[in-house]
Amino acid sequence: MRKYWQVFRISLADRFVYRTDFLIGTFLRFAPIVTTIALWQAVYSGSGRQEIGNLQYGEMVSYYLIVMISRAFGSMPGLASTLAVDIREGTLRKFIVQPLSYVIYHLHLRMAHKSVYFVMAAFPYALVFFWCRGYLPGWPVAELWPLCILSLVLSFFLGFMINMAIGLLSFWFLEVTSFMFIFMVSQYFLSGHQFPLTLLPDWLERSVTLLPFAYETFFPVMMLMGKMNPAEAGRVIAGQCIWIAVLSAVVAIGWRRGLRRYAAFGG
Amino acid sequence: MTATLGRYGRILFCFARNGLVRELSFRVNFLVTIISEILWMGMMLVFVQVIFRFTSNVDGWSNHEYLFLLGTHFLISSIFEAFFFDNLQRISAQIRTGDLDFVLLKPANTQFLLSLERISYTAIANIPLGVILCVYAFSKLDAPLTLQHALMFIVLVCSGVITLYSLMFMFSATSVWLIRQTSASHFWFYLTSCSKYPAEIYKPMVKGVLWFALTFVFPVLIVANLPANVMVRVFEPYLVAYALFIAVALLALSSLVFNWAMSKYRSASS
Repeated sequence: MRKYWQVFRISLADRFVYRTDFLIGTFLRFAPIVTTIALWQAVYSGSGRQEIGNLQYGEMVSYYLIVMISRAFGSMPGLASTLAVDIREGTLRKFIVQPLSYVIYHLHLRMAHKSVYFVMAAFPYALVFFWCRGYLPGWPVAELWPLCILSLVLSFFLGFMINMAIGLLSFWFLEVTSFMFIFMVSQYFLSGHQFPLTLLPDWLERSVTLLPFAYETFFPVMMLMGKMNPAEAGRVIAGQCIWIAVLSAVVAIGWRRGLRRYAAFGG
Repeated sequence: MTATLGRYGRILFCFARNGLVRELSFRVNFLVTIISEILWMGMMLVFVQVIFRFTSNVDGWSNHEYLFLLGTHFLISSIFEAFFFDNLQRISAQIRTGDLDFVLLKPANTQFLLSLERISYTAIANIPLGVILCVYAFSKLDAPLTLQHALMFIVLVCSGVITLYSLMFMFSATSVWLIRQTSASHFWFYLTSCSKYPAEIYKPMVKGVLWFALTFVFPVLIVANLPANVMVRVFEPYLVAYALFIAVALLALSSLVFNWAMSKYRSASS
């Protein structure tokens, strides 16, 4: 366990090196919220409706704000492509010869990144949420709190496993960066990042929410917005656990199969 | 003058040929990228259709007018991505690693070399996607099609590309001060996630200040909105003149900013 703790610590220090860059980046990340507020204001006033897809205007804006929280847990920028590069260029060798699991190594790396992210992003997030407090639905009810936090943590693991599984494709295909773009685009929509999935026609919503992506963003966000009773929330947690288990199995099997094919290029 | 133009023409031709060779060596990649672009556009269309399930207009833009705007946006951004995006994205790394030295040493305009060295044929292949969407949306509208409008549209699309280029180039040049900044691709994402919507939606924000700022101070809203407006909605001569002025002015400014940045550049190698 101690070696992974070291990984965690080194990575932590690395993250603190580029502070200004980080702050600018975090604020910029919220820039699209402005567009969201403007666009939905126009849509609601154009439609003359109070509710669109079971959401009132304020709730619609909060949805996008809370998506930012859920993405802060679930997004893994560069994870799949790091794995792809390690496989393609042969740098994976240095992990194979060490008594260290590549997957668990990266899991700790990401946990460190996330920890730093939460510490450093707390201020900009708090500021943005304070500005937008008029839109927010209020805190979730007390008995939902543990489930909300649990579901955010699970969306971290889910995001990690989805990205790992995609990255593993590099064992079979030499050039996967363009596949990754397809994957990112699909994820952006299917996870409910672009718009709440309740806006889709019913049949489409039902099919899209069967996929793991909805468990990464859409469901946790709806839970945080207080749109679920404890029983529904429990079902979401269960769904997240099932997908994490399935994807972990895929990663474990894919990893073993992939290593057998691995040629360690560039010796 | 002619000799200089001829020389730069030859350099450009050389870049284009190298790019083609590079592209042809990754043929599958080429196909997959086009598929992913079609997917991205399809998803954007789904989003627009989802919005129009609930409303008949977005601040006065009807469904097909909105689609025309989106088509114009795709057209402009694919032209930008075809010629400039890869290059501008690399600048920050070239500054960080000191590879910029090799570009500075060459006997040609550095901004020219940096901006056009890699032409992306994949992005060129995406240009028709934007055109198809525009043509489709236009055919569903009963806006008059005159030569004057069409020419104005083409001119405005070009000035939109130049405007975006200048903004992005200035952003990349700032890497001299902010090493390992938020990457150019993020900045591009934020720019386009703001500019591909009808400009009117920003008017109620902060009592119109935001709309004013994004139109006149940091002019991303005129990029796609103006050409689309000229073709399918209203023609505002003063804004058209302004768009042309802004394109030229920003291009000049980008060159100034770049030269200033270069005076602060410390090579990173050795």
